[in-house]
Amino acid sequence: MLNSMLDNVLNVSVKKVASHRKEVNHFVSKWVKSLLRAAFLLGMGFVMLYPVLYMISGAFKSKIDVYDPTVIWIPKNYSLQSVKLAMTTLDYWVSLLKTLQILVPSVLFQLISTLLAAYGFAKFKFKERNILFGLLIFTIIVPIQTIIIPVYVNFKYFDFFGIGKLIGLFTGEPLTVKLLNTTTPFYLMAISGMGIRSGLYIFIMRQFFRNMPKELEEAAMIDGCGPFKTFTRIMIPNVIPAIVTILLFSIVWYWNDFYQSVMFLQNGYPLSVSLTMMNGLLDITGKNISSLSHQDLWLLRDSVLVSGCLLVVAPILILYIFLQRFFTESIERTGIVG
Amino acid sequence: MKDLDNSISRTTIPKKTMKFEARRAMWGRLYVLPWFIGVLFFFIIPFIQAAVYTFNKIAISKNGFEFNFVGFDNYIYAFTKDPNFLQKLTSSVGNMIYQVPIIVFFSLFVAMVLKSDFHGRTLARSIFFFPVIIASGVVITVLKENVMMGGSMSDKQSAYLFQAPSFAITLTNLGLSPRILNMLTQIINQLFDLTWKSGVQILLLLAAVNNIPKSSYEVADIEGATEWEKFWKITFPLVSPTMLVAVIYTIIDSFTDYGNQVMRMIAGAVNTGRYEYSTTIAFVYFVCVLLLIGVINWFLSKRVFYISE
Repeated sequence: MLNSMLDNVLNVSVKKVASHRKEVNHFVSKWVKSLLRAAFLLGMGFVMLYPVLYMISGAFKSKIDVYDPTVIWIPKNYSLQSVKLAMTTLDYWVSLLKTLQILVPSVLFQLISTLLAAYGFAKFKFKERNILFGLLIFTIIVPIQTIIIPVYVNFKYFDFFGIGKLIGLFTGEPLTVKLLNTTTPFYLMAISGMGIRSGLYIFIMRQFFRNMPKELEEAAMIDGCGPFKTFTRIMIPNVIPAIVTILLFSIVWYWNDFYQSVMFLQNGYPLSVSLTMMNGLLDITGKNISSLSHQDLWLLRDSVLVSGCLLVVAPILILYIFLQRFFTESIERTGIVG
Repeated sequence: MKDLDNSISRTTIPKKTMKFEARRAMWGRLYVLPWFIGVLFFFIIPFIQAAVYTFNKIAISKNGFEFNFVGFDNYIYAFTKDPNFLQKLTSSVGNMIYQVPIIVFFSLFVAMVLKSDFHGRTLARSIFFFPVIIASGVVITVLKENVMMGGSMSDKQSAYLFQAPSFAITLTNLGLSPRILNMLTQIINQLFDLTWKSGVQILLLLAAVNNIPKSSYEVADIEGATEWEKFWKITFPLVSPTMLVAVIYTIIDSFTDYGNQVMRMIAGAVNTGRYEYSTTIAFVYFVCVLLLIGVINWFLSKRVFYISE
């Protein structure tokens, strides 16, 4: 009897010690995990932010600091000279206006055509659907550079999708319009569903529309909505998170666009293109500024380039800081996955 | 009897159902129409035109372009006589082959780290996604080539961030062949480059990892599985469809990257007015990458695990 009581007490205390040890182990391992994770994230965070830190630090260096070996991140003499020079070289405000001129309508047009096409693919059954969807995938895969030259030629002698040629049968010469060096090519491509990365957006939106319950549509139809009213009144308000995603990605890609801008325009380039030409432009504008000696220019060159990069990135950066929640959470909600 | 007849004829109305479906189909086509016009005029027709260009030599006259049929001459020139093309093509495709697995596996690793809830998780996600904003455009390439390298052009190395000369010396002393050593140092130098390109993939994989039902893990816990086993038997297979999507996205992304050497070559050829040649290069490159995607898709589709619905 005493033995069994002793056994009981021993068992209970051994178990307690064992579970306590297990708890301590668990506690320690949790802390180690957190520490490792924090170290990893800090390290990677630095790597990710490195370009921006580099740009911010480099843009405000004065000409003395640029080749001063003791100055690595924080400049000793702050100076806005590089930034000002970069702004003149890039013709900042004009280029910015041009960028916005291309971007704002194109993004809106792209959004409209994407929504229309995605809804059609998602909720309607018609014979050609599979073939057209295959074509859509094809448009995602083929890079723009493969077809941009014929597109360029088409815009140089633009004949309104063949109508000009028909008119030409009557008047003897086809009606062509030179659409280069205007923003019209961008608008035309965006409204017809072939804007930058449009195929990808149609794909994403289609997934999203597919995930919407059919009952919603049927209820709308019972209540008397035609297909178009169903679209505007019911479907669209329900997919607003996905629309915000597409809008944000669309803005970033149009802002960073290079190939189409450089093909369709011959002067008055948007910001991204001006940046790539900056090295050469700097030589030209630098000579025109009397207060800038040749040696000054040579010293400041790197800093000016970095300032240029910062100026081009800054608006998108600010947009990102305010809307980053929409960027990161949005992909989870679009339903590409799962 | 009459009522019964009437009610029977009312319950079977096949004609009206078909008309409804046909109407729906018409509306569907209408919705897709703007896109289809775009695809026809800005994709299909230019694609065919581009194919035609590659078989011709183009001269610019005052009326437009004049075509001079030369058969496969352009292709032969690209492969045999052009000093730059083959080298840039192989280096570009070769780069893609080792970069894509690294990017995808790195993204998977980061997604696993970001999966559990912890303080500062949203901040971490924002920071990891951040490079997508700048690393996909002209800015990062201008930075890398003009500034961070101190002005000297080399093959997209972020040399400023991570130099490992002593590492190289150690490996040579170990007797490693110089070619492998070269590849290894290239990989290490480009490591940070690759982390910058992983933003979207991290988010895709994060969403996929979060979609795995917790009950699967609980069952594994009951059965006594270790963390290692849980990862390889549960997480990895269930995430593999998304990994395939990430692989294809990475390949396509490297196309439109401004720093892509072949693309620069194409743009350069256009600037010198050799339209037919740049189209030829673009076509060859596109076919190469299409083959690559096809092979990868075929190869990985067999190993991707789909939950049967």
